[in-house]
This record gives sequence, structure tokens and C-alpha cells, in this order.
Amino acid sequence: MNVASVSALSGVGAAPSAPSPAPVSPSGDATPATSFEQALGQVFTGAIDSLRQGEAAAIQGMQGALPAYKVVEAVMGAQRTLQAALAIRDKAVSAYQEISRMNI
Amino acid sequence: MRDPLQAVLEVAGSGLEAQSTRLRVISENIANSQSVGEAPGDSPYVRKTITFDDELDRATGASLVRVKSIGEDQSPFKVEYDPGSPAADDSGFVKTPNVDVLVELADMREANRTYEANLQVAKQAAELLTSTVGLLRE
Repeated sequence: MNVASVSALSGVGAAPSAPSPAPVSPSGDATPATSFEQALGQVFTGAIDSLRQGEAAAIQGMQGALPAYKVVEAVMGAQRTLQAALAIRDKAVSAYQEISRMNI
Repeated sequence: MRDPLQAVLEVAGSGLEAQSTRLRVISENIANSQSVGEAPGDSPYVRKTITFDDELDRATGASLVRVKSIGEDQSPFKVEYDPGSPAADDSGFVKTPNVDVLVELADMREANRTYEANLQVAKQAAELLTSTVGLLRE
């Protein structure tokens, strides 16, 4: 998860009819997304991946196979990614709601 | 581009790892400060030293810290008069480890402080990341 990708998406709620924001590549190495849906999909895939990593690290930590700070790092990373993904989802949903409330 | 704050977390994590290894070495020295040999003329426990080095993390371009080597202290052993010990030589002297517990305790404090400093850095970076993401939810 990259903060730059978050700031790229921050304009979504404010301007519902705006063109799709800058391409987002959550892991940094993924191919640039071409549409907003793909960008959102990548963000969520990244979130799920980092949640899985955090979970695996927590299990390993409980078994004593991983140092405490590594567990904390992974779990906190997962938490941050999830928070970012949820915030982006909220923005996107509110953008669509904004469109549906438009006077015709 | 990798997030610099993410890099901060990785650098601080490497600091935590280095300092916990240092604490491990110190604890080995303290635990073995009385370990002598079991036959006359045997060498006792040799104090361990630890050195650090910087290491470039290619993904972020940041300098991490790593344990360069865990070596042996070259200073001479202390000698104690203890004719009853199995490690005593002909004149009754026993070689004891070149560990000074006071030095180890001072070292431990320093390792402790550095670990705490790295923890603070990680805490700050995590807080900044969280509040940046928090900009989205208003």
C-alpha cells in the first residue's frame, strides 16, 4: 500500500463526475490499472494479501518462530492496508451515491 | 516509488533486530561470567563482542543496520587463586572469563535505550501513516 495511491484517490468523493483518477498500483510492481474498477480491485487484492501475511505472521509469532517486532510490523501493515482499502471503498460508494442523487 | 514512511518502518525494524541480537550477546556474556574450564590449563568462556554495519535495502534505497559479526574479546583472562577448582593449574590459579559484569550492564543499558529509540521511530512513522490514510475518512 502506497500513500501516493491514497492521495490519488482522495478526489473521488468530491467530484463524482470527474474522470477516473490516476492509475493505482498498490504493491508498486503491478501493471498500472486502466480503469477505476481495476484500480479498486488491485487495492483490495493488496489488502487481502497483506491481511493474509499479517495472519500468517501472527500464527508464526505465537509458535515462537518469528520475532515479536516482525509480527507487530506485519499485523500493523495489514491493519493499515485494510483501513486504507475501507476508506477508499467509502469514498467510491459515496461518489456513486452522489451520482444517483443527481437531479434529472 | 516506495513509501518513505514504509521504509522508516523497515529501518527501525532492522534496528530492533540488531539491538535484540546485541542484548542476546550481552546476556550470554553475563550468564557465562563464571564459566571456567574443567581441566587444568583449560580456557574459560571468552567474552563475545558484536559489531554492526549498514546495509543498503535495494527496494527502498534506505540504509538498514545489520549485525556485521559476533567476535571474541581479545583481552587477557582474569586469574583467580582457587586451588580447589578442577581447572586450577600447578600453582593453584584458575583462569576466569574476561567478562566484566559492570561493563556488560552498562552495555545492556545502551542497547536498551537504542531499542527504545527505534521503537519510538517506528511508532511515529506508523502514526503518520495512519493519520495520512485517515485523511480519506472525513
